[in-house]
Amino acid sequence: MITAGLKKRATVWGVHVLLAVWLIICILPPVMLLAASLNSTALFRSPLDLLLLRDFTLENFAQAFSRGDFWFFFTNSLIISGAAVIITLVVCVPLAYGLTKISGRARSAVSYGVLAMRFIPYVVLALPMFLIFVNLGLTGSRFGLLLAHLSIHIPFATWMLVGFFDTVPGELEEAGIVDGCTPWNLFWNVSLPVVRSGVIALAILVFIISWNEYLFALFLAGSNAQPLTVGITRFLGGAEAGAEYGIIAAYAVLVIAPVILFALTANRFIVSGMTAGAVKG
Amino acid sequence: MAERRDKFTRGWWFILPGLTLMVAVVGTPLVLGFSYSLQDVFLYAFDAKTFVGFENYRRAFEDPLYINALRITAIFTLGCLVLSVGFGILIAFLLNARQVRLRPFWMALFLIPFVMTPIVGGIAWKFFIWEQDTGIINSILDLFGGPQPYWLLDRETALLAATITNSWHLIPLAVLVFYAALTTIPDELHEAGRVDGAGPFQALWYIILPILRPHILFVSIIIITSAFREFDMIWALTGGGPGRATTVLSIFAYNRGIANQDMGMANTIAFTMFIIMAVVAWVYITLYRKTGRHEA
Repeated sequence: MITAGLKKRATVWGVHVLLAVWLIICILPPVMLLAASLNSTALFRSPLDLLLLRDFTLENFAQAFSRGDFWFFFTNSLIISGAAVIITLVVCVPLAYGLTKISGRARSAVSYGVLAMRFIPYVVLALPMFLIFVNLGLTGSRFGLLLAHLSIHIPFATWMLVGFFDTVPGELEEAGIVDGCTPWNLFWNVSLPVVRSGVIALAILVFIISWNEYLFALFLAGSNAQPLTVGITRFLGGAEAGAEYGIIAAYAVLVIAPVILFALTANRFIVSGMTAGAVKG
Repeated sequence: MAERRDKFTRGWWFILPGLTLMVAVVGTPLVLGFSYSLQDVFLYAFDAKTFVGFENYRRAFEDPLYINALRITAIFTLGCLVLSVGFGILIAFLLNARQVRLRPFWMALFLIPFVMTPIVGGIAWKFFIWEQDTGIINSILDLFGGPQPYWLLDRETALLAATITNSWHLIPLAVLVFYAALTTIPDELHEAGRVDGAGPFQALWYIILPILRPHILFVSIIIITSAFREFDMIWALTGGGPGRATTVLSIFAYNRGIANQDMGMANTIAFTMFIIMAVVAWVYITLYRKTGRHEA
């Protein structure tokens, strides 16, 4: 019995040690960025030196805010991501709801079309968009970049939301019809409240995807609509490499701060959104 | 009959605005991209385009650089697939062990690599993990007197480093899906395995893997789709170099179109990517419909 107990305790420890190792691998890159951003001479120091904050300073953050047009990039990121969330919700929630209301064959045609669009590599869309935008004068506009983001979001959001609307029991709407609800009431007051947490999950994921997006921005942002992700590479290239290490790290910390906060506070929604459609639906 | 028609129109009023916008923002570039791939189009000389049919495709397939990019994309994608599914199952299995407490805490932190901006993730790995002089990998190797490779500057190791870095970004997705699936396995099944004398790894192999099969398909498809088109992470790590050691198709198309200004060829490269992914999508949808019918 003693050995069995020992063995059990060893297993518990082993499992936790392995999980802890993976945890460290997960958080090490952002933690190192944070450490480097808080040291005055971040250039080519050993990781331990950086983590122990031997040369603690907040100067890098002051520099990151005041130089390199941080607020310009930030505003672009915020406007594009925010608008992407709003438009995606306004357009895709009804679209997904409608798909669960139409007849079988038309439904599967549109649904599989939507699913197929999720497979399109972004560069396939970004290259022709670049030429279209040059011709339409949309290069370097936030509106153009927003349209590009929607080409990712709409298929993604529609597919995910159909899965959520499918979980709404049919009896609920039938009861609504008996009560004389209009089609709009059925959608807005009966079905939508049931999928509310799914819609929140979607809004968070769409925001994160837009905030993190780089490829479309590189192709289409010109010089007037660059988001933070392009801003940081400008910083990398423009500065004498090395010397600006700490400022780049501070800038990077500011870029990832919102998405990391989402992961830590809204992870329940992120998980439900990411696992939606995992089995079937 | 009238009721059925009513139901029909009711659905379509909700669908049409979104469907129109989707066709506009996805369909238009897709069709134009294909038409550009059949032409000689150059950036900044846009009006002088000429129709050349499938000439660009022929040129691409005869170009050793294209074949190289195709090969590198395949290695990168398969590497990410194997690492993500393998570690995804392992970590989900550990997280689901009965004795593990504070699961929401682990889960929240495990999400970080997935949500972290890939271009920033790439920069962080480049500066702090792979860096030759002070990077963490070489610091650890140094403790054991191991070699000190220039991971990202060496043709032999750059692709490996990029694959590992991108897997770091993708593994959380696999963990989430597998973990969610494992929590639905009833305890009795584990008990039955234990009574039969199955150790943890036998349980993994004989009980858990068969149950996870549909989820492995789902995760594989997401990983393949994501890794195949990856641009940001590799761009931040190596920019496609050294030489062309990490030039995947996305980067190759970008170089041809923006740097070399050969938009016809760039669209051709991109469209071959589209065709490859269309095949993957077709396989997935076929399998999906089959399993769907089984469950229905």
